[in-house]
Amino acid sequence: MGNKAQQSDIFSKSSIAELITALRGADQVPKKFKLVSDTTDFFKLDYNDVVVLGNRPYWVKRYEKEGRFGLDDEPKYWVRRVVDLIDGSTKIIKLVFHEKFETKIGDMVIQCFRSPKKEARILDLITKHPNFMHGNWVLDEAGNNVRILEFIYGRRYDDMVIEYGNDHEDYFYNFFPDVLKQYIELVLAIKYLHDHEEKHGDIRRDHIIWDRENKINRWIDFDYNYLHGESMFSFDMQGLGNILIFMTARGDVLAPNLYHNQRELFDKLWGEDMNISYKNRVANLKKIYPYIPESLNRVLLHFSFGAKIFYENTDQMLDDLEKAKDDVVSLTGRTA
Amino acid sequence: MSESTTFCDLTHRDTERHLLVAVDESANSKRAVMYLADFFCDFKNVFVTLLSIIPEPSEDFFSTEEERAEWLVEHRGTMEKAMNDYRGILYGAGFSEEQIESRLIVKKCVSIGDAILEEQKKLRCCIVVVGRRGISHKEEFVFGSTSNKILHHAKHCAVMVVE
Repeated sequence: MGNKAQQSDIFSKSSIAELITALRGADQVPKKFKLVSDTTDFFKLDYNDVVVLGNRPYWVKRYEKEGRFGLDDEPKYWVRRVVDLIDGSTKIIKLVFHEKFETKIGDMVIQCFRSPKKEARILDLITKHPNFMHGNWVLDEAGNNVRILEFIYGRRYDDMVIEYGNDHEDYFYNFFPDVLKQYIELVLAIKYLHDHEEKHGDIRRDHIIWDRENKINRWIDFDYNYLHGESMFSFDMQGLGNILIFMTARGDVLAPNLYHNQRELFDKLWGEDMNISYKNRVANLKKIYPYIPESLNRVLLHFSFGAKIFYENTDQMLDDLEKAKDDVVSLTGRTA
Repeated sequence: MSESTTFCDLTHRDTERHLLVAVDESANSKRAVMYLADFFCDFKNVFVTLLSIIPEPSEDFFSTEEERAEWLVEHRGTMEKAMNDYRGILYGAGFSEEQIESRLIVKKCVSIGDAILEEQKKLRCCIVVVGRRGISHKEEFVFGSTSNKILHHAKHCAVMVVE
């Protein structure tokens, strides 16, 4: 991986024009474009420019934006969709952006930083693991660590989950067994990282993409890093908990909504029933959906205000999830 | 304490009064040392190891090697100063120089609690003493708690948590 090479002399504008012609036709060759091999100033990288990375030319297309790659609806100038001009495939390139910022979990603030090196390290680690985005990294002419990611054709998994079923009961009995199976697979993938002393760093439901070609969920975006406290993995664990609560409920069950629309359910809730990360979301879902098995609800309660102990690692959580899965299967009669 | 003996093994207990005090530069660590000094000052056969683990951030936390070196020097310096103060507290209470040892370890660690317990096992200490920060339930959830980790995972030793 990672070769720093003199890349600027390998391609000329005319050789690039030939490659574009061969791929897309002569009429697609842009009248003006730049050949770039130093990506330090990524703001100067325009639509239709060609970036040469590791002796390979990438034709720059749109910025990535929306929640899938971070801040909602803000263009991410350092994340670009490109066309590999050698094989015509679509790729995502992530350029170096050393950003330090604060992440909030409810009212708690964590100092984070964006780490190209961490993401590159993990890309090397998970080359053969199906539940992660794949790609490689190269150093550009200026030594910037640029990650070149395979494009995943598919949707955010959480967007798919909220469309399953006519109502929650229908969802729970007919779709949730498979959702839980998928979720366990995703936790196992995070365990793989943890076993190698790496953390994902930004476990959120919009960082799971359903790869429709391979019919598998894949974690994306692991360039976040932070100085951890006692446990390297507790932040990842809270992310996993939030996703499980969301998937079990087929969305967020919000206290204000219950107050206005289902007051009898709201009146059953105590502070300890709420999500410890987000106090307006219900974690004790059995109070809302009584058919949820105890074993599954016990897992959810580890992420509630009332929790006496927390999961320290994925192994503890996976043990409990196996029991919950068995109970969901026997309750619904579905094995996914 | 050897693997085969337990904390309650009376034949070994008298020769193994080795206390491990896990500290950082915080006020709660100072409280733990003061408590220990007060509680054990009359025991002349007690041996104390002051241990500080500085968890080293991963390489990508620093933009340059110089920045990393600077970080280490600064954190080591702060901790060495705190360790000197703690030794002073123990001397002041009547501990002799032979009764005290200090260990400052800089290492990458998944869990500080686990790193402390590794040392406990290596040194065969019969009591681990730690201060408690008094963090909120939610902070414990997100960041973890070293004292809780030690309480839950310590083996073949007693744990003293000082608040």
